[in-house]
Amino acid sequence: MKQLSLLAAGLLFSAGVLAGAADNVAVQDPYVRLAPPNAPATGAFMVIKNNGDKDVKVLKADNPASKVTELHTHINDGGVMKMRPVPAIDIKAKGEAVLKPGSLHVMLIDLKAPMKEGDSVPITLTFDDGSSKTVEAKVVRPMPAPPMEHKQH
Amino acid sequence: MSQRILIAVAVLLAALVLGLAFFWQPEMPERPLPMAAAPAGGDFTLQSAGGPVALQDFRGKLVLVYFGYTYCPDICPTALAATAEGLKLLTPEELARVAVIFISVDPERDTPARLREYAEFFHPAIVGVTGTADELAGIARRYGVFYARQPVETAGGGYVVDHTSDTYVVGTDGKLVGKIAHAAPPEQVAAEIRKRLTKP
Repeated sequence: MKQLSLLAAGLLFSAGVLAGAADNVAVQDPYVRLAPPNAPATGAFMVIKNNGDKDVKVLKADNPASKVTELHTHINDGGVMKMRPVPAIDIKAKGEAVLKPGSLHVMLIDLKAPMKEGDSVPITLTFDDGSSKTVEAKVVRPMPAPPMEHKQH
Repeated sequence: MSQRILIAVAVLLAALVLGLAFFWQPEMPERPLPMAAAPAGGDFTLQSAGGPVALQDFRGKLVLVYFGYTYCPDICPTALAATAEGLKLLTPEELARVAVIFISVDPERDTPARLREYAEFFHPAIVGVTGTADELAGIARRYGVFYARQPVETAGGGYVVDHTSDTYVVGTDGKLVGKIAHAAPPEQVAAEIRKRLTKP
C-alpha cells in the first residue's frame, strides 16, 4: 500500500514536472496560405486550444520555409487594415486563440522557395514556459473565408 | 464651522463643473475619413505588363477596382480570393462583361511584370497595374482610398502598407457606383455584379 502510494506520488510528481504548456495545448486545422507568385510572405493560420488551467502565451513561431517568422495581427481601424507584429499570442486557461485571415496569424516572411499547393510546413510554436510544439501545416490556395473543414478530434 | 467648509467646497466644485462646461472645449481631432464622403471616382491610366491600361478602355463593362500590393500577405489575398470566387459564380456571358483591375499602391516594389503573375494567380480576368506615386495618390484620393507606408523592420523591405480594402464598383458608363466591403463572401460579390449588370 505504501509502495502504491509512493508510485502514485511519483507519477503525479513526474507529470507535474513534464507537463509543460505544450502538453496542454492542442492545435486544430493548421494551414499555410499558398503565397501568390512574387509575394514574398504569407500567413499561417490555426486554432490553438489551451486545455490547461493556466494561461499560456505563444512567444514565437519558427518554420524552415521562410527566413523570418513573426506573430502578427491586423487592426481594422475604420476600414484601414493595419498589420502589426505582436509580442505574444495569449491563450487563456481553457480558452483558445483563433488565428485566421484578417486577424492573428503566424507570418512567414521572405520565403526561401516558392511553395506548392499540398506541401506541408512544420511550424514550431514556443510557449512562455519554454516548451514548444510543432504542427504540420498544409499549404492551401487562398480562400475567401477560413476553411470550414471541422475534423472530429 | 465644518458645515461652512462643506458648503464652500460644494460651491467650489459646482463652479468648477460649470466653468468646465462653459469654457472647456476639448480639441476633437478631426479624423480623416476619406471613406465617409462620396468619392468621385473617374478615369485613370496606369501601366500593366501588357502596356497602358485605362479605365475608359472598359466602357460597356462593369469594372471592379481593388487597391493593394503584392507584399500584402493576408488582406489582399483574402479580398482577391473572394473576388475571384465571385467571378467563378458568373456565367461566361456575365463574366465577359466584367473587368477587374488590381492597382498596386506600392510601385517601389511592384513592377507591372510582378503584378501580372500575382493577379493572374487569383483569376485570369484580373489585370494588375501601377503607376507613379503621384498618379496613385491622385486616383486614391478620387476613389476615397487610404493607404500609408508604415515601417516594420522585418516585413520584406522594411515596411508594410496600411490600406483600405474595399473593392470599388465602376458602372458600364465609367461612373463609380458603389463598393464591396472587405472579405465579402463570393456570393455577395456575384450578386453585386449581377445587380449592376442588369441595372444600366
